[in-house]
Amino acid sequence: MTTASVPAGAKPRGPVARLRGQGARLLPYFYAAVGVVAVWWAVVLIAKPHMSLLPSPLLTAKTFVQLMASGELPRDAAYSVARVLAAWSLAALVAVPLGFAMGRWQRLERVLDPVVELFRPISPLAWIPLAILWFGIDEGGKIFVIFIGTFFPILLNTIAGAKNIDPVLIRAGRILGCQDDASLFRKVVLPASLPQVIVGLRISFGTGWAAIIAAELVAARSGLGYLISNGMEVLRSDFVLVGMVTIGVLGVLFDTVFRWVDARYNWIGE
Amino acid sequence: MTAAAGSTAKPLSLRGLAKHYATADGRVIEALLPIDLDIASGEFLVVVGPSGCGKSTMLNILAGLTPPSAGEARVGDVPVRGPDIDRGMVFQDYALFPWLDVIGNVEFGLERKGLPRRQRREVAMRYLEMVGLAEFADKRPRELSGGMKQRVAIARTFATEPSIIFMDEPFGALDALTRRYLQHELLRIWQEHRKTVVFITHSVVEAIYLADRIVLMTARPGRIKTMLKVDLAHPRDPTSDKFRAIERRVYADLDEELAKSFRMEGRDTAG
Repeated sequence: MTTASVPAGAKPRGPVARLRGQGARLLPYFYAAVGVVAVWWAVVLIAKPHMSLLPSPLLTAKTFVQLMASGELPRDAAYSVARVLAAWSLAALVAVPLGFAMGRWQRLERVLDPVVELFRPISPLAWIPLAILWFGIDEGGKIFVIFIGTFFPILLNTIAGAKNIDPVLIRAGRILGCQDDASLFRKVVLPASLPQVIVGLRISFGTGWAAIIAAELVAARSGLGYLISNGMEVLRSDFVLVGMVTIGVLGVLFDTVFRWVDARYNWIGE
Repeated sequence: MTAAAGSTAKPLSLRGLAKHYATADGRVIEALLPIDLDIASGEFLVVVGPSGCGKSTMLNILAGLTPPSAGEARVGDVPVRGPDIDRGMVFQDYALFPWLDVIGNVEFGLERKGLPRRQRREVAMRYLEMVGLAEFADKRPRELSGGMKQRVAIARTFATEPSIIFMDEPFGALDALTRRYLQHELLRIWQEHRKTVVFITHSVVEAIYLADRIVLMTARPGRIKTMLKVDLAHPRDPTSDKFRAIERRVYADLDEELAKSFRMEGRDTAG
């Protein structure tokens, strides 16, 4: 009862403070960006590479503005994001329920776990040839590849979350009026494993984001991966760099959104 | 706040209640030999016994969390078939839901009972006041000390107005001073709300301090060794001669069982 008067970890947490917290979290990325640009510029000034090998940051910025104005970059980015979102949502729709089932029913897990373990080490990129054969180079193939890439992180994290629930919480739930499995799931199993499920969703979005670029490099007529591969073909390395920078910035943005969701729904605490 | 509304206490009877487990290699382990026991309505029964004597197993069967291998437990006339919100339980490790705040935890069972939002907030608040934690209503369990957590768990259990409350070594993880305070608090609440209580502990002093009647269980396989009425008025003074006399008697019986259980442990590790 020593903490009666001053509970640990109590701090004011209004919306303003939270916003400032988000800003502070983005600050390191800003410093990193400044550092990277400085090194990049130094290399350009000292080594003087040909413009088609490594353009200066200034030229890249100009190209960035150009591609933004022409609408090419927003269009390519939107294509990539839409593909990842579609495939990732689809994967979540399958992997989350399956993960809960495998995490709570040992028998199902024993049957399916070897299958999962066999497929898991295969990189989603290794599926690209089959995806092209099966679904062509249209959206289907790319969504399939991203589906594979996002499916396993979601599945494995959901299984872990559902499996590692403190059994005493299950007992407490049953004692406190959750007699049937449905109410026990809704009131105890789901909230207890939610933090781990969110971790899976976050990680998989990252892997999906990495994989979409690869899939678009191989076979696409749109998307950031296409912008990059096309830039290489027409010897416009500034296109390549604009594509790369956009990938990095969007990746950080998505991760920030996920961290925010995580902070909001994660009861494990800081 | 005397004579609280809600269900009144109910008696509990055990008839030939037994439990055995089959191990992976096909051996059968007797956890609980057939037990007959009648617990009166509103009685505070404390079960004491060495570790592994099956007292937690017994409690889980009574709560409906584990089915018995033989025999049956009845609450009033109704046999126990599964868990029921009319039978509450306080766990040693609190079992608070970490994703809910303190009042959310107390409201959990009330919501399951179908109380509308405003009413369950009101009831939960009343029970938080009862354990002196009203001002911590919107804290998370992780922000509380062990003793405070257990007070929340007690409020959560009493709030659903069960007719029987099982307590599985509820104060076992707490320091001695907190423990003493909570024993006192529990008695106060129990005297107000008169539920039937089945309380498990390792501590002989705790048993004598709280119990109307003490049931002493044997080492594995568990069965009842002795039953003992404690006819002392509350509040009891652990330093009084009568208290000490009862303590000596319980220890005399318990020492035999402890010796047995240690021999058994030796055998287990040797085998």
